[in-house]
Amino acid sequence: MKKTRDDILVGLVIVTGLVLAVVGSLWLARGGLSKGYPLYARFAWGAGLKTGAPVWVSGATVGYVSDVNFEPDGTLLTELRITGSQPIPKQSPATVVPNGIFGDVAVNFTPLRAGAKYVTGDTVVSGAPTAGIAQLTAKADSITTSVTALTSAMNKELIANGGLADLRSSLAGTNKLIAQLSAIAATQSTQLSATMASLRRATSAVDSAKIDSTLSNLRAASGNMTSLTRSLDSTGHALNQIVAKVDSGNGSAAKLVNDPALYNDVHALLGRMDSLVADIKKNPKRYINVKVF
Amino acid sequence: MRIIDKASGPFSRIGERGYFAADIVRALPEWRTYGGETIRQMRNIGVDSIPLTIIVAAFIGAVTAFQTRYQLFGGVQLSVVGLISRQSIILELGPLLTALVLTGRVGARITAELGTMRVTEQIDALETLAYDPIAYLVVPRIIAAILMLPILTVFADSVGVGTAFLTSILATDILPSDFMAGLQLAFAPFQIVYSLIKGTVFGAAIAFFCSYEGYNADAGAEGVGRSTATAVVITSVAILILDALTAALLAPYLQG
Repeated sequence: MKKTRDDILVGLVIVTGLVLAVVGSLWLARGGLSKGYPLYARFAWGAGLKTGAPVWVSGATVGYVSDVNFEPDGTLLTELRITGSQPIPKQSPATVVPNGIFGDVAVNFTPLRAGAKYVTGDTVVSGAPTAGIAQLTAKADSITTSVTALTSAMNKELIANGGLADLRSSLAGTNKLIAQLSAIAATQSTQLSATMASLRRATSAVDSAKIDSTLSNLRAASGNMTSLTRSLDSTGHALNQIVAKVDSGNGSAAKLVNDPALYNDVHALLGRMDSLVADIKKNPKRYINVKVF
Repeated sequence: MRIIDKASGPFSRIGERGYFAADIVRALPEWRTYGGETIRQMRNIGVDSIPLTIIVAAFIGAVTAFQTRYQLFGGVQLSVVGLISRQSIILELGPLLTALVLTGRVGARITAELGTMRVTEQIDALETLAYDPIAYLVVPRIIAAILMLPILTVFADSVGVGTAFLTSILATDILPSDFMAGLQLAFAPFQIVYSLIKGTVFGAAIAFFCSYEGYNADAGAEGVGRSTATAVVITSVAILILDALTAALLAPYLQG
């Protein structure tokens, strides 16, 4: 009896284990126990499809990739197992799209508003592939290559050819120049401060009383100048009258100036006086006779 | 002379185990001798180990799901948790930890049983009665372990994945659909076969090394204890080595 019970228990466990293994495998491989229906799609080689990749309709999972076969014409003949009875509008293109950041892909249907639906065994329309991780990685690779080349060039210029040393030298020279300029600025600042101090001292040393008296003297001198100018003006006016009078020929002076006969008489008189003076010099005794006793 | 003895020691021990293996193969045709005993051993080794296997697998699955979820950085799809849980449990943790745990439970028991029979001269008595002790005592244990370890591994894988799923959806922010998407991603049926192959190899290792140590136990209770400890250590190391070997040999075929 014990042996029979052992037999049953062992048999039960073995059968349970085998069923678990088989059903589990089928479930994992086929996405569940429902059979669904197959659709077929062709994608270009290198699409990155694997068995078990999800099939989406606008992002919602409706099945999985159940088989992928290489075709000699450069395509992957892919069997898409649509689980349940999820209908997919006919002519909806299936596209291989990236799924996550590790290079996994999925097949995504973009549904169209069509009356008809895909049915078992249909070959679906393949859409243009989207840029996936592979393309992005290739782009990143090219960027990395450029950065590497740039780094290499910088390394060559800055280190191998001494550019870095030159740069350091330039920086040292610039620092020195800045130090010199700072010293000059400091000196100028000191001198400017001294100048300002002197100016302040000179300003404070000026006696305002003297300035006031000087200003009042200047004011008085200005008044004197005004009266002098006024006197000169009246003097000029008087002179003008005299000159006008002389010009008119009235009076002794005018006649003396304007009458040619008088001029001639005076000239003759002067001539005779000159002769007289000469004669006096020549013969003084004729005119001067000094007797003391 | 002692140096030669010491140097030849490891080879001698390997040779002794080789002879033991040859005796087992020689005893295989005597199925009438071990047929009934094999069922009893399958019960002892397999059926009675199910609770322990399930407990271990349940915690393995839960811990794997937790660890995987909280190691993910931003931007990584949460379905990765399902994928990593499945791959970790089915390909590695399920068969390996089940075998290591059963080394303690089943292997130690085999060594202790056979060692006690050796020191109490029951094995000698079997020989006197014209029974082949290898066929009657060792072969059933080895066949039972080879048959039942894969079954226990299937239980461990199922329970581990199940608890990983429950842990993910109940204790983390992962949605059932996310976990299921990862669980089914890039699955190849050979992954289950790989797990079963590991279970088979580990089962054979447990039964073989532990039977050898028990069958050749020294006299006395101390000898049995020493043999048991040696059997557990040798079997554990052998399982780890076989794990690496199977991975190296079979991993290239795992791609989904």
